[in-house]
Amino acid sequence: MTYKAIIADDEKELRTYLKSILSEIWPELVICGEAENGKEALELVESKRPQIAFLDIRMPGLSGMEVAKRIAGLCRIVFITAFDQYAVEAFEKEAVDYLLKPVSKDRLIQTIQRLKNQLDSSTEPPARLAQVVEQILSKLPGREKSDFLRWIKMQNKDSVRLIPVEEADYFKAEDKYTLVVTKEGESLIRRSIKELAQELDPGQFWQIHRGTIVNVSKIDKVSRSLTGRGVLKLKGRPELLTVSRNYLHLFKQM
Amino acid sequence: MEQHIPINIKHHLNARHILSEFIYTILLSTLIAAFLTFTGITTKSFIMNLIVSQSLGISFCSIATLLLWLFKPERTASLLFIAVIGIVSGTLIGVQIGFFVLHQIFPVTLNQPGKSLFQVIILAITFGGVAWYFFYSKARIRLGNEVIQEEKIKRLSSEKETLEANLRLLQAQIEPHFLFNTLSNVLSLIDTNPTDGKSMLVDLIHYLRTSLSRTLPDRTTLDQEIDMIKAYLNIQKLRMGDRLHFRIELPDAVRQLPFPPMLLQPLVENAIKHGLEPKMEGGEITIKVAEKDDLIRIEVTDTGSGFSSFHNTGVGIGNVRERIKLLYGEKGRLILEENEPNGVRAIIEVPKRDVQSDHC
Repeated sequence: MTYKAIIADDEKELRTYLKSILSEIWPELVICGEAENGKEALELVESKRPQIAFLDIRMPGLSGMEVAKRIAGLCRIVFITAFDQYAVEAFEKEAVDYLLKPVSKDRLIQTIQRLKNQLDSSTEPPARLAQVVEQILSKLPGREKSDFLRWIKMQNKDSVRLIPVEEADYFKAEDKYTLVVTKEGESLIRRSIKELAQELDPGQFWQIHRGTIVNVSKIDKVSRSLTGRGVLKLKGRPELLTVSRNYLHLFKQM
Repeated sequence: MEQHIPINIKHHLNARHILSEFIYTILLSTLIAAFLTFTGITTKSFIMNLIVSQSLGISFCSIATLLLWLFKPERTASLLFIAVIGIVSGTLIGVQIGFFVLHQIFPVTLNQPGKSLFQVIILAITFGGVAWYFFYSKARIRLGNEVIQEEKIKRLSSEKETLEANLRLLQAQIEPHFLFNTLSNVLSLIDTNPTDGKSMLVDLIHYLRTSLSRTLPDRTTLDQEIDMIKAYLNIQKLRMGDRLHFRIELPDAVRQLPFPPMLLQPLVENAIKHGLEPKMEGGEITIKVAEKDDLIRIEVTDTGSGFSSFHNTGVGIGNVRERIKLLYGEKGRLILEENEPNGVRAIIEVPKRDVQSDHC
């Protein structure tokens, strides 16, 4: 029986290269389609129903891993990567087929041998792969890492700027929006102070009032007013901010 | 533990310090005169005591300053020796002047000139010693503070240098994805298009050599940096084909200006990695270098997927921001702007003159 395969890689030259060594060591294999991105790969698998999909991990649109999650069980998947240390370790552990770029002929011969054995024994492609991939994806650096807000969009004259969140002096509630105040100026962001409080790193930003969040590293001094509230001064800023009683405990240890 | 502080007398001999020491001397002499008047050791006349003690004080101070200026002693022993000579000769001269002036104002002769002279000499030496110790301690404290300040500055600037070197090293790191993908391309091009393969390899070699040499704090020019970025973009162009277009504007006037190595490269890499690579249809990168008053302004604009893809970036950009701060303080900055209709514009502005090293 002849088998069909698709190759998905955003770099044309690399598809050509894989095709050429495949034709050399497995001439009977039919390459029934090539995809430049994840979306195309998905469409090809659905329309051409190949037995094998070679998927580059890094592709524009959907990544190789995301494609795999959706087509697991439909065909056998071989991942291709230039350098995804973490994924490679996981593939090793879970016995998932993968190739490293530049693809070496010896390694490809091994992979093909394994594929041939699996295909000839006519077992179904493992649907479990979807879970394995999901697991790997969830552990990939950047995904599970703290998703604290790192950038703020600020309107600056006629342009929108991206400011690292640590440059903010403080945030102040303005109706449904929030005013962010930095050394360079201030700007409204389309998020309520309540939402922001969830998104900011609590180690770096403290809520001191229902409507105020301050950058801890910018605090100059806190003193107590006659009414029992706190009065907070930020470095290099003239205005005084009020610390309501509920939040005064934050400064007890200072 | 007390640290030995070398006495650098040159620091000590400037007009401001000499003046302040004369003022202190006059005050001290006045105090001594008051003390002598009060106790009546010499005479009950304040004005007489004042005349003698001022002439002694001023001659001590003048002789000590003169001797310090002449010999510039550095060890405590030679300083002590000068102090002894200063006090002895100061006493002899001061007493002569004092008594001379006294004699002019109060023509009455002192009843026991021999005794008063001896008494005055003893008192002069005693008070001279005390005064000398006072000035010595004062100078020592001040010099000590200066040394501490100097060491603090030295330590801070060496910390700053280390930090800068580490950041530079980080930025000179070659992205493994880039390296292996490029090599795969070259491998394939050897068969399909040897000419392109060759030029890609030439660009890769150029890029590798430059970024490896950039781990050293050599001086680089804008020309060299842009050259390296061209090599990088040429490689990316061969990889991405029609998905990448790029344009570089580098006026001749700025080519030879010094520019820190590997400061611009992360921005270009970021534009590719987070701007154009994730976007299916790709886009364009424009690099514009310009002079603006005494600033160098470099814009890296991409038409990629914009701020939305910035969530998982930041390290490279953060390092650039950090390095600009270390190198230029408040005088340099990095701005990230939204590009219309899509993509991001990163702008670096740094002073045209060389990296400042005195700012902490």
